[in-house]
Amino acid sequence: MRRRRGSAAADDAAVIESSWREPERFAVLFDRHAPHIHRYLARRAGREVAGDLVAETFLAAFAKRDRYDLSRADARPWLYGIATNLVGQHRRDEARQYRISQAAPAEPEVPGHAERVAADVTAQAMRPLLDAVLAALPAGDRDVLLLIAWEQLTYQEVSQALAIPVGTVRSRLNRARTKVRQALAGTDAAATYEEITTNE
Amino acid sequence: MNDMELLRELAQETPLPAPAELAGARARLVAAITADPAAGRLTAGPETALDQPGPSNGPAGPLRPPVPAPVRDAVLLMYGGAVGTAIQLIIALFYIGDIGAYHLTVGTHSLTTAQLVHLRPVIVTLVIFYALVVIALWLWLARAVGRGRNWARILSTVLFGAATLELAGLHSAGQVFWAVLPWLTGLAAVLQLWRPASSAFFRSARALRSRPPSQISGP
Repeated sequence: MRRRRGSAAADDAAVIESSWREPERFAVLFDRHAPHIHRYLARRAGREVAGDLVAETFLAAFAKRDRYDLSRADARPWLYGIATNLVGQHRRDEARQYRISQAAPAEPEVPGHAERVAADVTAQAMRPLLDAVLAALPAGDRDVLLLIAWEQLTYQEVSQALAIPVGTVRSRLNRARTKVRQALAGTDAAATYEEITTNE
Repeated sequence: MNDMELLRELAQETPLPAPAELAGARARLVAAITADPAAGRLTAGPETALDQPGPSNGPAGPLRPPVPAPVRDAVLLMYGGAVGTAIQLIIALFYIGDIGAYHLTVGTHSLTTAQLVHLRPVIVTLVIFYALVVIALWLWLARAVGRGRNWARILSTVLFGAATLELAGLHSAGQVFWAVLPWLTGLAAVLQLWRPASSAFFRSARALRSRPPSQISGP
């Protein structure tokens, strides 16, 4: 589900503007967005470094808050852009993270609702393959794909976050999705996935 | 379900962090905020401000965003352009008596000495007027650009384009030498004005101007 797009988001620019004179106000931005930025960084770089990276993200944002474009009410693309750049610095670690997760044994199933079990089975079946596909994607394509798929940013927001034209966002996404689809096609994992989704 | 939905399903396996997981990062941010030179100027203490989301109740805030370095550089270059033009005017007035009739042409015909003598006051007046207009333009645009007026950035660029055409139309080495310094100054200023940080500054300034007064932290 897409996160808030309402009045709280519209306040981000006002919070940043007020933080020029009152730096303390910047903490409001942290409280609003840090959980989601942390989760994004945990997915991208691993939970163990996510705490450090989220701190670095907000420290960098605070340091350059006077350059924030106030016509952009929602600060999330800006923050995701900084976070993605930081992930870029950890790209080698990220690639290793994918390789480790490929080698790691599947986590034990947690009993729960039928839908959750089905989702877990699907995810477990697909995760190694998807991890490998994501690791093999060019960094720029991976950034676009994950910001859209995981963080549900719009093309325009990804364009702002990565400072690339919207057309480039589209082409990178198409390229990444094509590779993911090709990798999934005809695999056992895909068959498992199809079977589960058909039964649903 | 397609590939994107599958990716989202996988992503949902990562829960949002517990508040304790963010405590360290928040503490580092608060430390940086506290170390900021502008911090602590509020009547209320930092703790109060940190824990009070919502519209600002603090003291008067800026009506304009902080000027980024590229715009500051552009403004300085434009003031430099005004000074340079003033120096050129002084030099021109100093040597204007040395202008020979053969230097000036109307169409393809050089002026006669008699015509030059007759026109010299007009020429001096025109040179002074032209230089003063150019100086005024440099100063006016520098001031407007520093205030985040996007029209000033556009007008500066247009005038630089006109100066480029004028430079391209010059033939003698002396004329080119005379015109190239202001042109280079203009080029450097225009390049600074269109850097990403400058664009963000102009957009921010426009956003602040269009915001209702009640939403601006300043008066």
